[in-house]
Amino acid sequence: MGDKADVWQGTLALMVLRTLETMGPQHGYGLARRIEQTSGDALALNYGTLYPALLKLEQEGSIRSRWGSSENNRRAKFYELTKAGQRRLREAANEWKQTTEILARFLSDSSKA
Amino acid sequence: MNKLRAFWIRLFNTLRGMPGDDFADELEAHLAMDIEQGVREGLSREEARRRALIRFGGIAQAHDAYGERRGLPGLESMLRDLRYSVRTLARNRLVTAVAILSIGLGIGSNTTIFSLVSRFVLRPAPVGDPGTLLSLHIMHDNDRCCNQFPWPVFSDVRAQANVFSDAAAYYDLLPASIGGGAEPERVWGQGVTPNFFQVAELPMVLGTGFSDSDDKTPVVVLSERLWRRRFNSDKGIAGKTVALSGHSFTVTGIAPADFHSIDQIINAEFWVPLGMTPQLAASLPPHDSREYHWLSVIGRVRPGVSRKDVTAQLNTIADRLGASYPATDKGNHFVFEQAGSLPPFIRSTTLLFLSALSIVVLLLLAIAGFNVANLLFAQALNRQREMAVRLALGATRGRLLRLVLLESLLLGLGGGALGVLLSLWSTAALSSLRLPAPIPLNLHVNIDGRTLAYTFVLSVLCGLLLGLAPAWAAARPRVAHALKGEAGFAAAGRWFSARNVLVVAQVAMALVLLAVTGLFLRSLESASEISLGFRTQGLMLLSVDPRLNGYSPAKISAFLAQLRERAAALPGVDAAVTTDVALLSGGNRSDGFTISGHSAKGDPSTLADLYMVTPGYFDALGTPMLAGSDFSRETANGPRVAVVNKVFADRLFGGANPIGQRIEGGSWTYRIIGVVGNAKSRTLGEDTRPILYRSLDQSITDDPSMMGYTLIVHTRGDPKGLAAALRHEVYRLDPAMAVYNLETMEEHVRAAYVLPHVAATLFGVFGAIGLVLATVGLYGVMSFAVTRRTREIGIRMAMGAQPAAVLRLVLRRGMALTFTALALGWPAAWMLAKVASSFLYGISPHDAVTFTLVPIALALVALVAAWIPARRAAGINPTQALRME
Repeated sequence: MGDKADVWQGTLALMVLRTLETMGPQHGYGLARRIEQTSGDALALNYGTLYPALLKLEQEGSIRSRWGSSENNRRAKFYELTKAGQRRLREAANEWKQTTEILARFLSDSSKA
Repeated sequence: MNKLRAFWIRLFNTLRGMPGDDFADELEAHLAMDIEQGVREGLSREEARRRALIRFGGIAQAHDAYGERRGLPGLESMLRDLRYSVRTLARNRLVTAVAILSIGLGIGSNTTIFSLVSRFVLRPAPVGDPGTLLSLHIMHDNDRCCNQFPWPVFSDVRAQANVFSDAAAYYDLLPASIGGGAEPERVWGQGVTPNFFQVAELPMVLGTGFSDSDDKTPVVVLSERLWRRRFNSDKGIAGKTVALSGHSFTVTGIAPADFHSIDQIINAEFWVPLGMTPQLAASLPPHDSREYHWLSVIGRVRPGVSRKDVTAQLNTIADRLGASYPATDKGNHFVFEQAGSLPPFIRSTTLLFLSALSIVVLLLLAIAGFNVANLLFAQALNRQREMAVRLALGATRGRLLRLVLLESLLLGLGGGALGVLLSLWSTAALSSLRLPAPIPLNLHVNIDGRTLAYTFVLSVLCGLLLGLAPAWAAARPRVAHALKGEAGFAAAGRWFSARNVLVVAQVAMALVLLAVTGLFLRSLESASEISLGFRTQGLMLLSVDPRLNGYSPAKISAFLAQLRERAAALPGVDAAVTTDVALLSGGNRSDGFTISGHSAKGDPSTLADLYMVTPGYFDALGTPMLAGSDFSRETANGPRVAVVNKVFADRLFGGANPIGQRIEGGSWTYRIIGVVGNAKSRTLGEDTRPILYRSLDQSITDDPSMMGYTLIVHTRGDPKGLAAALRHEVYRLDPAMAVYNLETMEEHVRAAYVLPHVAATLFGVFGAIGLVLATVGLYGVMSFAVTRRTREIGIRMAMGAQPAAVLRLVLRRGMALTFTALALGWPAAWMLAKVASSFLYGISPHDAVTFTLVPIALALVALVAAWIPARRAAGINPTQALRME
């Protein structure tokens, strides 16, 4: 466990939005598992922090929730992306792409400053 | 956008009181799924549950984090504190009530005075874009401000000053009698250049107003107030004609009700083109003269032009005019201020009066504030145990500080609310006063938005300042001591303790306040002893202005004679005389006088107020005839004669006999036929003014009165009973004649007392409140000190101190505080008294009686306030006192 990376500030929201985009409506547990799997089990996600983050996204109108039943016929709360959420995801993804490209250029061996 | 949406949702959740949510269910579902997954992977149910919980990372923390995200935690704790504060205040009902009452009185006084400041100093004129409308005046070098404009000077400025998009002139007081419908009424209006309403950017409520070609057209704009009162808000009035002083004018517009006049003081109710004013005003100066200053002028500054540009250009124009017309315009320059500011001739007096009042009410608020601070301070000491418990349980000191400040803030706001209520009442009372002036004034004062904002800021400030001392005390208990119930904070013997400083400041301020109050009360007393120089009992006054009904001077004279005759024939009437304006009406015609043939520089000269009277006037008013004789049957065209008062005779003739001497003034020569006693002419407070009485019949043709004529009737009975009969006699002579100022001389004079009376009432009320608050403060401090020192005093007594010695001990302390305060306050009061000097009647600002009696009285009150707790201290039973803690 000790060598896993923590979730960086502000990135959890982006991961949630992206996961919801690819998977469609999903409940909290499923989201948490999926985020861990996608990261190749390299991330230590504290499941407890996921729910306040979901609430924040919901309050900001990026996702909405409703109660439904899971694959095992268990009652669970499902989250799905809204139109505003899709827009926000595209913007945030672009920003990240730019940031990482710039950083990558700085860090690559060929361009020693 | 997103953030805002989230904020509203969270705010809504908070205010709804955070109803139960479904997070617990969601959590449970999450754990169940995680456990199932673990079991599916081959773990035991126990082990799967353990791992799920670890992965989740703290159920309670998740609940907290979720809850914080749902609402606004800062606001929530604030609301919780607020509820707690309200409960605390409600529990200490007495302290809260006293505090709110004290602050309420303090803030109410400030709100009342600020509403005056707001009305008379800060309020812009009710015109469009008041910031760019200027009132212009002419000022002659080294002369006092300010003069009005001659017509040609106005035309020059209007033509040459391109810093103004346009300028308008108006003649500010035009009486007219208005007929139609109800009883004829005298109303006041203004004569204006037709562009007046455009320059002022005042849109009509109804109709179109004046057009540029209207200068010589008989058209009129009525005030909305007059339109409602006399024309029943007739929507179709535009185009109809109304009769003003017998002339027909066509109504072209209705001006908004809140517009009284540019200067916001004169209450005008109609406007006619300046070219039409000769029909309503008897003797207007010629339009082509550069000598007569008779027009007020406003100018609308072009957008983007600064005040500096305006000054520069007006100076240039003034220089140019001075060069072109050296005889009349040399040495003149122009000054201006934003339209609607106080008229220059009353500005400094008004500002001085308002500053004196402001200082006094701020002192009052400070006294009230210190009182409440002391009260809260005492309360805070008693609450140290509570605070210590909270600290011990983990509350931060910041949180405690916030709690205490919140309480005092609530007190401040409560006091503010009470203050607004009090000042609603006091401003209504102030608005109902009638000032002694022959012209219609609009002095209505109310609580406007500015005043409310000021009150709110003052309340918040007051609340925060009040809370500082107790907050400091409360948040700093020595926990261990306080928990044991010991007074960890209060060291009873300290001389420079905050409480002592507060009470000294309070008593010192009370001294200042009471000294000023004393001055105004003495001033009222001395005003009531002022000799008026005429009687007030048994006299009834009635004014008419037949000129407004188109009467010629000869006809007016005949009308007044008939009216006198009929009035004299009424039962009980033993004298009926006529004058132009009754004495003590605030102002009148005046002229400079010299002895005939001695008008060179250095010869005696005097300025004198002029009154027209008819024979028997002095008898009727009880003014003593000192030498010579009264008027008798002077013919209108005969040689002019005059009766002067004593100070007039003294100024021009010293000890010599003035009877038979000839004097000159206002382009006429008079022969003095009598000398009468002095009388107050304009105001009560004036130094005795020279007065010249002239024959009404000899003056009415060449120099008619602008203010109408007043019939004065004397009776041995109650003059009030004559009112209806006198009015009836006027209507029998001319049913269209407007009657005004129908009142007894006592009522008339009472209006003249209004200023000393208002000043004395205001200061009296403020002083009384201050005295009570300061006394309560001193008593509170002394009584508190005794309670704190019970044990010490007990020990002293057990060691053999006599009760008398204990009494002296406590008294000495109280009196030491008092005398320190008096020594500090006395010089401050001495200095402040100078400010008040111009409002005092017949006493010096450093009135010996006030400055001796007030400190003595205050010391006595303080002695009593210290005596009561001292007696209690002397009565302490040592055994009980020692066992108490």
